[in-house]
Amino acid sequence: MLKLNANYDTFLASVNIFPLSNMYTGSSREIIGKWEKKNRVVYPPQLPGEPRRPAVIYHCRREIKYSKDKMWYLATLIKGMSIDQALAQLQFNDKKGAKVIREVLLEAQELAVTKYNVEFKSNLYIAKSLTGKGQYLKKIRYHGRGKFGIMEKVRCHYFVKLVEGPPPPPEPPKTGFDQAKEYVQQLRNRTIINAL
Amino acid sequence: MEGAESLLNPIRLAQSSLVVPVRTKKRLILPPRVKTKYTTPEEQKEKMRASGIVIPHEKLERSITLACTASIFDPYIPPEGDARLSSLSKETLKQRAVQLKQSTISQLAIRKVKQYDPNFSSKTFPEMAQKIFIEAHDCLTNFNKDKLHSLVTERCYPEMVRGNRYKTIRWSFVESLEPPRTVQIRHFTMMNKDNLYGQVTVRMHTRQTVVIYDQFGRLMYGAEDVPKDVLEYVVFERHLVNPYSSWRLHGKIVPSWAPPKDPTY
Repeated sequence: MLKLNANYDTFLASVNIFPLSNMYTGSSREIIGKWEKKNRVVYPPQLPGEPRRPAVIYHCRREIKYSKDKMWYLATLIKGMSIDQALAQLQFNDKKGAKVIREVLLEAQELAVTKYNVEFKSNLYIAKSLTGKGQYLKKIRYHGRGKFGIMEKVRCHYFVKLVEGPPPPPEPPKTGFDQAKEYVQQLRNRTIINAL
Repeated sequence: MEGAESLLNPIRLAQSSLVVPVRTKKRLILPPRVKTKYTTPEEQKEKMRASGIVIPHEKLERSITLACTASIFDPYIPPEGDARLSSLSKETLKQRAVQLKQSTISQLAIRKVKQYDPNFSSKTFPEMAQKIFIEAHDCLTNFNKDKLHSLVTERCYPEMVRGNRYKTIRWSFVESLEPPRTVQIRHFTMMNKDNLYGQVTVRMHTRQTVVIYDQFGRLMYGAEDVPKDVLEYVVFERHLVNPYSSWRLHGKIVPSWAPPKDPTY
């Protein structure tokens, strides 16, 4: 009996006989994330007088083998650019994440044209570009003198929101005159209490 | 002893008490086993046979019911110039209609259909067919999936519904310009000789309005309150052998000389 049990344990862990053993072998990303669900919003039909609502496409890639901090630099690089400019910048960037983000943008562009009824594929700009932390694995890194360190194998997610239309103009830098105007306005906003 | 072994069969054990080695922390990748006695599945099988563990060979079978055919068999070829304004050829059209009705294959098919469904009549059927057509399109606008499945065959359902999940569709039936008419009846067998399906083509000349808005509420196709005259040859199908089946929308035949559609925005 004991021998049977020992065989059973080892045999069960290594052989997929019944579907429950797919718990660890299947993809752990079966939960649909919040970013993907943002694409499911349906707006009511517009009245004929209203201005045409710009199409919005949310796209992401999960569990990219790259650091979220290193990816952040690329994400902020393309924030607010038109999609063509972003693709051009990423094409000539030497970082590993640039290739991944470029693929994501091209996928999102394809989706926009086929699924979301966008007329011109160049008429998109990047409204939001974010990174998030993926699932980390831990490994042991052996040092000398019996010391060790815990190595983290990092992964990240990349999220992008494309909006139809020309990119918004960048905000003009604050001039001295604007600052002075604000200061004067603050002075004028003061109220005198306990007085006539 | 053998009886006890069969009782302690690992599958039986697993099914009753769910004895699964669960790790305390969820890990993405299992680390490689150190003491593997076997690596390939063939080696595993031999070890299992040697140790005496018997796995009952379960037949993974699932029965499929075919409730509809895959396409329109022997499609009706509508005559050119149908529903075009022509005063001279009215009589010829009538003659042609009568001829088609009396065509031998259709008569045979009617006889076969009446064998299974005694209430079937080629004169009352078109009205019923039009009602099903209108109901099905109403269900499409409301996205009433359950009712739509009962009114439309499995082959036609994806054609109607694909791409429409996030779109708003407004469809209304204004009036029927001519009374609907059965134009062709055929019957077919699939797989066995006894598995009979009947297909009836109905000619409908109607006035309808269609507006489709995309996911962001922008106008995609059609215009509000602009009725359009539509000549359609709609095919209805029924699984005759099944006594609980009903006539369902199976597809549409669009003639090659039909006027071009409006552009989508």
